[in-house]
Amino acid sequence: MSQALADPPADTRAAPRARRPAPGGRTLLVRSGAVLVLIAVWELLALAEIWPPVVLPGPGQVWHQLLATSDTANGQGGYAGSTLLERLGVSLRRVGYGSAYGVLLGVGLGLVMGLVPLVRAVTEPAVTFLRALPPLAYLSLLVIWFGIDEEPKVYLLMIAAFPPVAVATATAVTGVNRQDVEAVQALDAGRGHVIASVVLPASAPEIITGVRLAVGIAYSSVVAAETVNGADGIGGMVLNAQRYNQTSVVVLGLFVIGITGLLIDSAIVVVQRVLSPWRGLV
Amino acid sequence: MSVTRRSVLSLLALGPVLAACGVGGSSSRSSSGSERVVRVAYQNFADSTLLVKDQGTLEKALPDHRITWTAFDSGASINTAFLGGAIDLAVIGSSPAAAALCPPLNIPYKVIELLNVIGDSEALVAREASGVTKIADLVGRKVAAPFSSTAHYSLLAALRQAGVDPAAVTLVDLEPQNIQAAWQRGDIDAAYVWTPVLSGLQQDGVTLTDSAKLATAGRPTLTFTVARTEFIDGNAEVIAKWLEATDHAIGLIKTDPGVVADAVARQIGSSKEDAAAQLRQNIYLTHAEQRGPDYFGTKDAPGQLANRLRDAAEFLHDQKKIDAVPDLETFRAALLGPGAVDGE
Repeated sequence: MSQALADPPADTRAAPRARRPAPGGRTLLVRSGAVLVLIAVWELLALAEIWPPVVLPGPGQVWHQLLATSDTANGQGGYAGSTLLERLGVSLRRVGYGSAYGVLLGVGLGLVMGLVPLVRAVTEPAVTFLRALPPLAYLSLLVIWFGIDEEPKVYLLMIAAFPPVAVATATAVTGVNRQDVEAVQALDAGRGHVIASVVLPASAPEIITGVRLAVGIAYSSVVAAETVNGADGIGGMVLNAQRYNQTSVVVLGLFVIGITGLLIDSAIVVVQRVLSPWRGLV
Repeated sequence: MSVTRRSVLSLLALGPVLAACGVGGSSSRSSSGSERVVRVAYQNFADSTLLVKDQGTLEKALPDHRITWTAFDSGASINTAFLGGAIDLAVIGSSPAAAALCPPLNIPYKVIELLNVIGDSEALVAREASGVTKIADLVGRKVAAPFSSTAHYSLLAALRQAGVDPAAVTLVDLEPQNIQAAWQRGDIDAAYVWTPVLSGLQQDGVTLTDSAKLATAGRPTLTFTVARTEFIDGNAEVIAKWLEATDHAIGLIKTDPGVVADAVARQIGSSKEDAAAQLRQNIYLTHAEQRGPDYFGTKDAPGQLANRLRDAAEFLHDQKKIDAVPDLETFRAALLGPGAVDGE
């Protein structure tokens, strides 16, 4: 099955190529240019001192904080005991665990929801309910139940990550082409084989889109997760700096969170293209 | 006009535009027009200011002014509000006030009054089950406190006083309600926090020290009224009426605490007994007492308050939370004190 899709005939390949956007090189140049212009405008605003530096720190101050928080010998070991990279590592580890558990739970539940209509009818409202809850609201509950260490943070990220994956998987599974399923069943395939060779590969693009959303949501919730005893992560750094009105550190933290989030998202898009190369061509 | 998809979509697009027109009208910062606005930031703990708010004393004394009262959870957020130019007068602790007077914040406000010296309403408590009986036992243990608060400063002062290096203790930054949860689960060994959470902890804990003891040992934590310098210059009457109202309320705490406890109970939603107990835990000074040498002093003989603020600033500098500690003169200049504005 995958054989036929992996090698499309030459003439169908030519048409999609013409529809693709401008070559990668030019896009990169335009994007870099736009970022540089934004930084220049920011520097001009900071120099004009329309607002005091503590309200709008300039790029120079943020850069200085980047160097200061990465320096282990500056008297406080980076920022309040940990360097920027250590903090990033701690937060990424939490997001990693939370997303991984959330994705596993979401794919598993979504599969069952898609294949068994009764399960879907029962669990879909619950999943949508969870999706609507803001993480900061149930964090206190998790702290009361699980304490102040790693558990409530990872569980919070897991709860934040699992609904998009579950919904995407359920939708994808129910949307699998009946004819493909029947074709494999006609070849006398068992239930497991049908799922492994038809349902999952056909749902893969949508599932990975759900994963992309889930990781994004989990990553943006890491600051919320670190409001309680999260002093060693990057969210903790932003919250601590905000308490003392150290605006340049807050801006640095936000940039680091945003840029690493962007990189992670791009990585997932690459994985999606590798796992489902037919997407966009059929 | 027939209802087409296009017409519905264009109507929906109007929504945000119309909503945006409503913004900005009520949030203007200037005191233009016939009504002058006084924006007060207060905190929800038992204090004389809650009586002033409850009885509407300020509103009655300044009929042509509009007073807005906004509750804040911490001094740090009040500093942020000052930075945004959103507040004129505030009730704030000595730690965040000291931070505000130093670079890089350099918030242009002045201390106009001492509302109370924090007594045993803030204390260091250790869980009975942890086996900690004195401060020196805290080495290697987990101690929680809300960072950047007076409790945090008092914790560090207590550790230093007992000869314990703060780096040898695992300090955890938790808000009071999370301290309560962590305490019940046994995740922390001790905490420095204030009432009402403190009263709950003290039921199965050992009180190691409190802010009253630290105050007598030269490390007081205090609650101030601060006002924007620009606001003071243009609104001497408002400042005078505020000082009059709070001086009267402070006097009432000594002579008729029941009235104040009633007002506090109404404002924070506690019982009258709890409010009365919380009031008793702090030390209140009349304006005459505040002008003594231990506090504001006079212009020719400045009091010790500036030195205490500078001590607090040095602690913050040690933790790299401020860039530099200004000299004593800066702190003296920021302490206006009651009576200095009245011109008495």
